[in-house]
Amino acid sequence: MKKAYIPLILLVLVILEGLAINLLPKEIVLSDYLIIAHWVLAFLVYITVYYDEDDTYYSVIYAFIFGLFIDVIYTGILGVYMFSYGFVVYVMNRLRNLLYRNFYVLLLLGVIAFVMADFLIYIMYSVVGITDMVWQDYLLRRLLPTLAANLLFLLFLFPIFKKRLIRWSEEQLEQGN
Amino acid sequence: MRFFRNKRLFIFLIGFILLVMLVGYTYRERLNITFAEELINDTVGWIQSAVHIPVNFTVDVVSNIQEFKDTYEENQILKEQLSQYRSLVYEVQEVRKENEELRDVLNLLESDSIRSHEAIQAIVIARSPERWLEQVTINKGKKHGVQANMLVMTADGMIGKIQSASNYTSRVKLVTGFDQFNRISAMVSREDARNIFGMIEGFDEETNSLLFRIIEESEKDLEEGDLVLSSGMGGVFPAGVPIGTVKEVTSDQYGLTQIALVEPSADLYDINNVIILDRSVEQVEDLGDVVDDETEGDNEE
Repeated sequence: MKKAYIPLILLVLVILEGLAINLLPKEIVLSDYLIIAHWVLAFLVYITVYYDEDDTYYSVIYAFIFGLFIDVIYTGILGVYMFSYGFVVYVMNRLRNLLYRNFYVLLLLGVIAFVMADFLIYIMYSVVGITDMVWQDYLLRRLLPTLAANLLFLLFLFPIFKKRLIRWSEEQLEQGN
Repeated sequence: MRFFRNKRLFIFLIGFILLVMLVGYTYRERLNITFAEELINDTVGWIQSAVHIPVNFTVDVVSNIQEFKDTYEENQILKEQLSQYRSLVYEVQEVRKENEELRDVLNLLESDSIRSHEAIQAIVIARSPERWLEQVTINKGKKHGVQANMLVMTADGMIGKIQSASNYTSRVKLVTGFDQFNRISAMVSREDARNIFGMIEGFDEETNSLLFRIIEESEKDLEEGDLVLSSGMGGVFPAGVPIGTVKEVTSDQYGLTQIALVEPSADLYDINNVIILDRSVEQVEDLGDVVDDETEGDNEE
């Protein structure tokens, strides 16, 4: 049963992302700045840092599955979130093996993940012609506000999930042995 | 054997090819989505509508408290407007009656008018976090009669069109996400059949307004504050739905045609209750009264 917690939390985050825009004040939504919720990615960073062992790839598998969900539910263009999340979380997974598990590593990986994922999405949407924003505009109007907002969400998750994920990870190890 | 040692590279390449295939297959406007997508959309839509209720309730309470301040002033204005409306209602009744009589004389059915339509009420249950796509999800789908390309409006005016419909939910593309592939034929009405016709061609992010390109032949006396309505000429949307008001008139980059910047009349941020309009005329055509090729495959609008 405990194995189902993580996919369930991810599913709830996917659904809540659809309501995320209601949390922002009207002035920001109507202004030139675009803030995109990457809440699923934020939780995937937690799974990478606190749940995955050196030789497990749970976070990568979840990244592909729930990235695809976001594509199907919110955009209709399949593959964009799926591969950008999947690829970024795979890189995080490899990087984590070189580093310790602590708060600063979590923040560092979070920053790298949000920037890489959003930039990959920007590149892919530019290629298929969904957006024609020039990259300077993109940097100021979308990437930086998005990064700031999602880092806040990352910090918000810390007290709730840090200890739980470590406990779940240990339990899963015991079961495995 | 060296090939297999590079397993990681191999997987990466396969993934890349898969990505290009998936995106290439799905990035265009699709009127029909696959069964698997429908299934996911319907299931998630069910949870979304359940989650939506408490979240909306709290958001409403917060905004209600803010609105209390303006209530008194608004009330005064509304009372004034109400007295004006009363006379308008009588006038409308008279005009409607006359219209009916004239139709009778001409042997026209009510459903023959491009103005007539059937309305489906729906609630917005989610908004896409990806802001470049400008999509919202509503809680009505094919089972309720919603189909792709129908017009979606709020009480204030048009907000978008149905992009794709699942069984119990559908995705709406907002006017702010429109481009050359999602044109709407629109008009500004004038007396003496001098209506100004044109196309809503897209959304300009810099000025936050819709681009209304005026057709060469029509009159060019467009003024600020003119109301732009859908004209029903494209064959998909009903006529007479308000789209927005003219903010500024300029000429296009070659100086050949005029373009008006139109401010959408509906609030595109706070969308809750929407109405989906199905044009009635099309159904008559479907029954075989009018069979021609022109009306088919018209997904340009």
